[in-house]
Amino acid sequence: MSKKWQTFKRSIKQLSPFISPYKWGFFVAILMVVVTNIALAIAPTVEGMITSQLMSDATNIANHVPNAGVNFAAIIKIIIVLVMIYLIKTLSQVVLTFALTNSIQNAMHDLRNALQEKIRHLPVSYFDKHQFGDVLSRITNDVDTVSNALQQTLTQIISGVLTLVLAITMMVRINAMMAIVVCMIIPIALLITRFIVHRSQKRFKAQQDALGKLNGAITEMYTGYNEILLFNKQKKSIHQFKDINENLCQNAFKAQFMSSIISPCISFVTYTVIGTIGLIGSILAINGTLKIGQLQAFIRYIWQVNDPISQVSNLSSQIQSAFAAISRVFEVLNEEEEVITNHPQPVHEIEGNVTFDHVYFGYNEKEIIHDLDVDIKSGQMVAVVGPTGSGKTTLISLLLRFYDVTQGGIKIDGVDIRDMDREDLRSLFGMVLQDTWLFNGTIYDNIRYGRMDARKDEIIEAAKQANVHHFIRTQPDGYNMQINEEGNNISQGEKQLLTIARAILKDPQIMILDEATSSVDTRLEKMLQEAMQNVMKNRTSFVIAHRLSTIKSADLILVVRDGRIVEKGTHQELIQLNGFYEQLYNAQFAQQE
Amino acid sequence: MKLILKYLKKYKKLLVLNVISVFGFALVELGIPTIIANMIDIGVKNQDRNYLYSMWGAILVISIVGVAGTILLGYCCAKISTSITRDIRNDIFTKVQDFSPSEFNKFGISSLITRTNNDAFQIQMFINVILRTALMTPVMLVVSFIMTLRTSLDLSLVIAATLPIVILGVILVAKISEPMSQKQQASLDHLNRISRENLTGIKVIRAFNNDHYEQARFNETNVEFTGYTKKIFKLMSVTQPIFFLLMNLAAVFIFYLASQMIDAGTLQVGRLVAFQDYLFHAMFSMMLFCSVFVMYPRAAVSAKRIQEILSTQVLIKDKESTMDVPSVAEHSLEFDHVTFVYPDGEEPVLKDVSFKACQGETIAFIGSTGSGKSTLINLIPRFYDVSGGMIKIDGQNVQDYSMETLREKIGFIPQKAMLFTGTIAENIRYGKEDATMEEIVHAAKIAQGYDFIMEKPNGFDEVITESATNVSGGQRQRLSIARALVKKPEIYIFDDSFSALDFKTDAMLRKALKEETKQSIMLVVAQRISTIMEADKIIVLHEGKVVGEGTHKELLKNCSIYYEIAASQLSEEELAYE
Repeated sequence: MSKKWQTFKRSIKQLSPFISPYKWGFFVAILMVVVTNIALAIAPTVEGMITSQLMSDATNIANHVPNAGVNFAAIIKIIIVLVMIYLIKTLSQVVLTFALTNSIQNAMHDLRNALQEKIRHLPVSYFDKHQFGDVLSRITNDVDTVSNALQQTLTQIISGVLTLVLAITMMVRINAMMAIVVCMIIPIALLITRFIVHRSQKRFKAQQDALGKLNGAITEMYTGYNEILLFNKQKKSIHQFKDINENLCQNAFKAQFMSSIISPCISFVTYTVIGTIGLIGSILAINGTLKIGQLQAFIRYIWQVNDPISQVSNLSSQIQSAFAAISRVFEVLNEEEEVITNHPQPVHEIEGNVTFDHVYFGYNEKEIIHDLDVDIKSGQMVAVVGPTGSGKTTLISLLLRFYDVTQGGIKIDGVDIRDMDREDLRSLFGMVLQDTWLFNGTIYDNIRYGRMDARKDEIIEAAKQANVHHFIRTQPDGYNMQINEEGNNISQGEKQLLTIARAILKDPQIMILDEATSSVDTRLEKMLQEAMQNVMKNRTSFVIAHRLSTIKSADLILVVRDGRIVEKGTHQELIQLNGFYEQLYNAQFAQQE
Repeated sequence: MKLILKYLKKYKKLLVLNVISVFGFALVELGIPTIIANMIDIGVKNQDRNYLYSMWGAILVISIVGVAGTILLGYCCAKISTSITRDIRNDIFTKVQDFSPSEFNKFGISSLITRTNNDAFQIQMFINVILRTALMTPVMLVVSFIMTLRTSLDLSLVIAATLPIVILGVILVAKISEPMSQKQQASLDHLNRISRENLTGIKVIRAFNNDHYEQARFNETNVEFTGYTKKIFKLMSVTQPIFFLLMNLAAVFIFYLASQMIDAGTLQVGRLVAFQDYLFHAMFSMMLFCSVFVMYPRAAVSAKRIQEILSTQVLIKDKESTMDVPSVAEHSLEFDHVTFVYPDGEEPVLKDVSFKACQGETIAFIGSTGSGKSTLINLIPRFYDVSGGMIKIDGQNVQDYSMETLREKIGFIPQKAMLFTGTIAENIRYGKEDATMEEIVHAAKIAQGYDFIMEKPNGFDEVITESATNVSGGQRQRLSIARALVKKPEIYIFDDSFSALDFKTDAMLRKALKEETKQSIMLVVAQRISTIMEADKIIVLHEGKVVGEGTHKELLKNCSIYYEIAASQLSEEELAYE
């Protein structure tokens, strides 16, 4: 319990900066909940007053009291009061809705923006350590859960508690003894809820497992769609799917049925209590200690009590999942951000001399770059080669300040890049990364991403230089073809060409190609490289390549192994060295029979 | 909502039971007020304690009946909603198995997964609400109305007058909320998509300094989404108090009328109490009905997304009468002036491609990225149908065979092989269900997989994990080749399926394959010249057209594009013509 209380306190505290700008809205909303509930609580009593008045009048009529008749003046007075109560109730409900919806949705809007902003400021290493799907689910599903919980449960909880308190108070005022009988409902209801929830939880677990299995099966069979088609396995997979689906259906049914029993069981208790109160009340009425209107009001209050109680299990599971969601969301928001450069050096036209000055880098104690020391002259084409995992890509990440070096420094034209603003630094580079990221939009928009203000003819020109113009024209809708959400409606090689076009469009001062053409055929790769060389004339460029055939013309080849530069020089020099480079080179070319 | 109705039809009996049990619930909810009214009117008035006791007993009895009814209702709801969800999922999955790649890609894997899973779940929730609440409301309304009629005709008229307004209001709200909710859903999807892209493209976005742009793009959608959400929530939550007010005012009016009737002696006070109670319950069920509004638009969107799958026209399907397998002396595959254009494509991907392959021949295809070679081989198992010309197998148009017969003839090894969770042996057996262990081992040996399989702790019984993380790319390719080999098809199609192998394994594999596939037609798509140098015929594709055809040596001489490809991969000596 204390643990739950702590989560509760922490969650509220974390949410408060998002809620406080709208605190007046929330304040009004809560005030309105109170008003609504008081109105709801008073209404039956006032209604009861009418009945009581009518009853006594009717008795008088029945007993033939002279001048007996309904006291209209009194009735109309009560009716006016009642109408006022109804109007106040409705008005406060409407105000409540508007105030609450505006406040909550504005707060959620801010929360989403804050998350998005946070993503911008998190260091890249955060995304290496955390699973993509998990982060995404925090941004989307968890915020949604919080929003729904606030919108739906907040008023329910407050009004539920108020209803209970007010209804019981009113009941006590009418008749304390009868009120105690009614209060018995609460512990019994809680016991029933606990008893059933305890059992249904196992069913829910089984349902969850079955759902997981179904999910796995769907994912696998949709991903393996081609194989199923080619091996004529449609019937078999349908059969397999139906089995898993049937299992889920059974478990889901049991879980649902079990939890649906709670409400009728509690209602049964309520019904019995109402019957008993009806009996006791009637006897009291016969004895003259209770008015009919009071009995009527009392019974109305019992119905009011029933409602929040049968919702307890439902609400508590909603609240728990909301708190869990809040803590997951704030885990992201509380992450440490990238260090901001104070007083950054201005970056204007640069020559493009890049110096790695005894650079060390590693994360989690694992050293990836060890004493890397090299001077690159403006306009050089530098190729970085080496086996997988030797730290080639890390080098590029350091250059772009996705990570900062742990020791040493990287300088561009003599200025340490840590003294530059990250955005200024990155504006110097154009790059094509290993992962060819395209977004869900047209091909045109995807190329334009390199330079947002590019004209259409510039985009087409870039596509032509990247040798992808013809391909685009064969696609449905040409340049307006939508890249779909998974980006799987074009091939990996074609994606690489599009990202190259994007980098060409940017027309950067330093170009980085990280395995940019690994999925493109060798002939095209060569043509591309020639095109790039035109673009990059007199500008520094870095090329990371797996295939050595295409980097022979580099001005400088750096051979990296286990984070160290083991050899450097031109292709000819390195071959003559008969070292590691020569081995790599021969492994790729000489082994052909 | 037609979708749900269609599925509901299957469960008529349960549905009837469901309705009956709703009456059970109505009985107790309305019966108890009636009995209480009787207690007051008869018991209290006549001071008849025995009558009160018997009425108390009556309440107990109906409570039991009512609770039994409600539990039965829970049973029916759970049974019907889970069963329908199961049926919907089965139908979606079955339908998707019928899809050809163009339909499949139109939806995309992740969208198909959500539709099969989440959208079906939305429907389940909605059916629950309908069966429980939506059904309860009319029943409660009708029963309470009958009860009120019995109590007092004049007073009932007051309620009757409010009903049309309420019904009109319900329809109005439904009409307004549906398009609004669709917009909300769409903008939520959009918002989630941006988040997703921002996470996957984090490095690219930062490298291009586009994060301000992304933030603006996100905020724009966020504002839009918040706007729709506010509107919907306001609409939904204002509806209820207003309906209530209407009912309340009617109640007040009834009090006034009742006072006059009591004055005239035509109404008993106990009746009035019961009357007010019926009204309260009718109102309460109206309130529950409002929850249908919250659910309906979401469910409608889901139903629409499911319906999209179920009503998709499958473009490529069997002809009504399909050919039997012709018995031919020698198998052959022929492309006869084949042209292929994607629907809406500006230019054809393949233009007038013709060639013929005979039994025992190996034909290789080479060309740049985007030259159409993958498209070409995808036409053979009818992943797509040609736009012009014809593909013939054993002299017959492929479209004349049944899809099953056609694909039985073909062993297709894609570049990115997909393995299923299960053991290695099971994965190879996927090619031929009744394959013996000898056949499997034999296929594995030819595919150069035997050694690495035996190095696994459990050999052929090693379980491939989800997304096959415990085998490397090259191993995966070899397993997928073994899977095709065990099938012993007439036509092998290798779509760049040697790309992840090192040169040595590649060479050994090709040698072993040559022996094994003497009786078959081999089609090989590759980027490496060395993989295809020994093919009987090499076809060079460029921008969808055949620009060269012949052996390695011939092409080196007379096809400039082929020469350029070769030059980018081979050393000077190897390029020498003789």
